[in-house]
Amino acid sequence: MRQFRTSLALPAVAAGIATLAGTAIAVGIITNPTTATDPPTGPAPVVSAQAMPEMSMHPTASPTAASGQDAPVATNAVAIQNFAFSPAIVTVKVGTTVTWTNRDQDAHTATAMSGGFHSPTLNAGQSYQYTFTTPGRFEYLCTIHPFMTATVVVTP
Amino acid sequence: MSAPLDPKGMSRRQLLRHTAWFGAAVVLTVTGGEVISHLGGTPAAAAAQDPHALRFVQISDSHLGFHGPANADVTGSFSRAINQVNALGLRPDFVMHTGDLTHLSTPDQFDQVRQMLGGLRTGAVFTVPGEHDSVDDHGQKYRAMFGSGTHGDGWYSFDVKGVHVIALVNTLALERLGHLGADQLDFVRNDVANLPSDTPIVVFSHIPLFAMYPAWGWGTDDATQALSYLRRFSSVTCLNGHVHQLFSKTENNITFYSATTTAYPLPHPGQGPGPIPLTLPAGQLGTALGVRDVTYQPGQHALAIRDRKLA
Amino acid sequence: MNQALPPLLRVSAAGCLAASGALHAQLYLHGYRTIPGIGPAFLLQASGSLAVALLLLLSSAAVLRLAAAGLVAGALVGFIASRTVGFLGFVEYGLQPAPQALISLLVETATLGLLAVSLLERRAGSFTTRASTGRAEQT
Repeated sequence: MRQFRTSLALPAVAAGIATLAGTAIAVGIITNPTTATDPPTGPAPVVSAQAMPEMSMHPTASPTAASGQDAPVATNAVAIQNFAFSPAIVTVKVGTTVTWTNRDQDAHTATAMSGGFHSPTLNAGQSYQYTFTTPGRFEYLCTIHPFMTATVVVTP
Repeated sequence: MSAPLDPKGMSRRQLLRHTAWFGAAVVLTVTGGEVISHLGGTPAAAAAQDPHALRFVQISDSHLGFHGPANADVTGSFSRAINQVNALGLRPDFVMHTGDLTHLSTPDQFDQVRQMLGGLRTGAVFTVPGEHDSVDDHGQKYRAMFGSGTHGDGWYSFDVKGVHVIALVNTLALERLGHLGADQLDFVRNDVANLPSDTPIVVFSHIPLFAMYPAWGWGTDDATQALSYLRRFSSVTCLNGHVHQLFSKTENNITFYSATTTAYPLPHPGQGPGPIPLTLPAGQLGTALGVRDVTYQPGQHALAIRDRKLA
Repeated sequence: MNQALPPLLRVSAAGCLAASGALHAQLYLHGYRTIPGIGPAFLLQASGSLAVALLLLLSSAAVLRLAAAGLVAGALVGFIASRTVGFLGFVEYGLQPAPQALISLLVETATLGLLAVSLLERRAGSFTTRASTGRAEQT
């Protein structure tokens, strides 16, 4: 009788242990999205979710991994590729014409957040040019993918 | 089993005792099941038939006009989603499309989505705009087609079967995060000012009203203000699109549910460089797409939400 | 069969099992009953768990411990499936609904753990009994 009961119970215990292990793994998986609003472990320093309710976020305070280089680059050509403006910050002199070229398959725009320039929808391969006539710092984004942000700095 | 002992040493008497315990367990289970289901009142089938129950469907992010490897046929998958809604077996009171109806806001895409939405068998079709519906005109084409009877830049509210529904527009500001703006916040405050606190509230928006992942723009910078007007209500449910994946979160009296898409999946928050269309292995796309149906029965606290994968 | 499961372990296991059943019953009443497939599964889990928990207080019959393990293991498998591949077409996320999801995970793993511990103690106890004078009661 004891053997009988043990033979019955052993698989149950084995199943239990397997389930415990499975639960541990699953909890690891499932809590991942739940903690997604915490700062990620990746390289990008982001504003934490806790800051969100206070709405102290500034668009430039949260560089994404996509917009890799944050150092200003002196060029008048910006490529739009892999859902990012590259380089993310360009520095030009007043009077310079900057050219954006969409090298993605998906469409993009380059649209100044506070007015100034506004490209039409740029399909794959299309370009847009804008000549900066006033010095200043121009933050812009893609209206189709607003997570894509970048900056043009115009010096006198 | 007529032998007094089987090879493992179980006597007939012991077998009988096992059987008795097993039988007792079954009898108690059946009895308990009866009691519990009786406590539940109307059984599930009757709940679905309850004429006072509100039943609606949320579809989202159809991105008509998208071309890419992530989904070679967004029209086809949106069409399947509509067929799936029509096949639910119960005509929903309304269907809400929570934005990104089109991919690039072209007149053709707006025409196409309106025609396709016309194929829904439902009491009414509502929409809120996504950022893809206002890529070059601050939402003018969207409002020309879907904005009749709305306030401001396209927001509105209505009541149906005792539930107060608010549809918000948080995709028009030129910034990384969603934004409602002062006018819309005033609208929300005035809209709910005279409602009893036990009125169930359902809020639709394209971009989440909670901080799902601000670094990717998955949040609304002034949502806290809007939600503060809803704190006194006992049941508030916020339904959004934009993130192309299911997610839910509860903050006190407010529960947030992000819906999936009918077009293409996006990565989980923080996985990869950004919210860029994901191309799944062949045959797996349908599992990432879906539609959501929601039931609210008078007297219940919460809405019953069911997400269905695209058939 | 003659040697009772150590009462403390058995009562604890029964308590955890009953808690799991009660949570499922509460969720069933709170809306899960309207979900196709999930509703009946919750009802079965709840009523079965409460029934077996009650009987576990009276007896330590192997069939009851097996049923208890099966009920909680089934609930855990369903939980994991609903958060990964889906369970009967139903998908939920993380530890929602809170706090029921977390509590049921804890009481269900505890039930399995208590059943396992009691089994090991019984085996150890029985060997001792056979080998020498014997310790009839484990504590």
